Amino acid sequence: MDRMSEISESRASLQETMTFLGAIASGLEEAIGESANSISYLAGKRLGTRLSKGIEKTDDIEQALCSVRKVLLDNGCLWQFEAFKTHDRPAMVMSADDGQDINLVFRDCMIRQTLFKFGHHQKGSLCNMMFGFFSGALQNVMGHDSTLEILHAGENACYKRLVIHSAAAKEVL
Amino acid sequence: MKLEISVHEQACRGCQMCVDVCPTKVFEFDDEKRLCVVKHEDDCIACLSCAYICPSGAITHTGYHVVKNFYRDLAFCDKMEKFI
Repeated sequence: MDRMSEISESRASLQETMTFLGAIASGLEEAIGESANSISYLAGKRLGTRLSKGIEKTDDIEQALCSVRKVLLDNGCLWQFEAFKTHDRPAMVMSADDGQDINLVFRDCMIRQTLFKFGHHQKGSLCNMMFGFFSGALQNVMGHDSTLEILHAGENACYKRLVIHSAAAKEVL
Repeated sequence: MKLEISVHEQACRGCQMCVDVCPTKVFEFDDEKRLCVVKHEDDCIACLSCAYICPSGAITHTGYHVVKNFYRDLAFCDKMEKFI
């Protein structure tokens, strides 16, 4: 089998898998409402924890994000993201009330494409799976809880705010 | 290739929907011209929400990363190939 037809075949199977995943997420949202978010989050977190097992630890957010990117790449996941700083933000990583935060831009995303195929809205339970994945992976890398808040879900890219909750911030809260 | 955004001045109606939808505040409303203008082009993340939401289709982007089209139906594309 030549390389092109091999790629076409694996792409077709990926599409089918995402079709099922999209249908499951949509069904869950309809059947149990907002609880679907928690289920997807936990599934993503378990996956993130499992795939990042034994990963090198660091306290540096940007370094940790490189590690998460590597975990995704090593597992053949095309979830391209990058840290982003706007003109009015003094630094890439900033201290916030709830920890340290950094803004991320997500470009190629299987979840977004799946949602578009079926006309589902963004920011739903499948997006929470991604949030869980980051939370699980970053827990292994940095040893802290994290939150991935969707600031904007666009057609060609999404803009998110990642907060690493430090122990000190937790005490204040 | 650098990302560039342009707002067609004759098409823009000054509704400011692009100003509202942009998460990184790339656009500003020019009070004199009564039009939306690109103020911080480097802040654009190419989500394309402004281009989709603009009622007069006045906003165009060039030099941006187009997301991989996972949801394209390959079998359908094969059938349509001879027509497109």
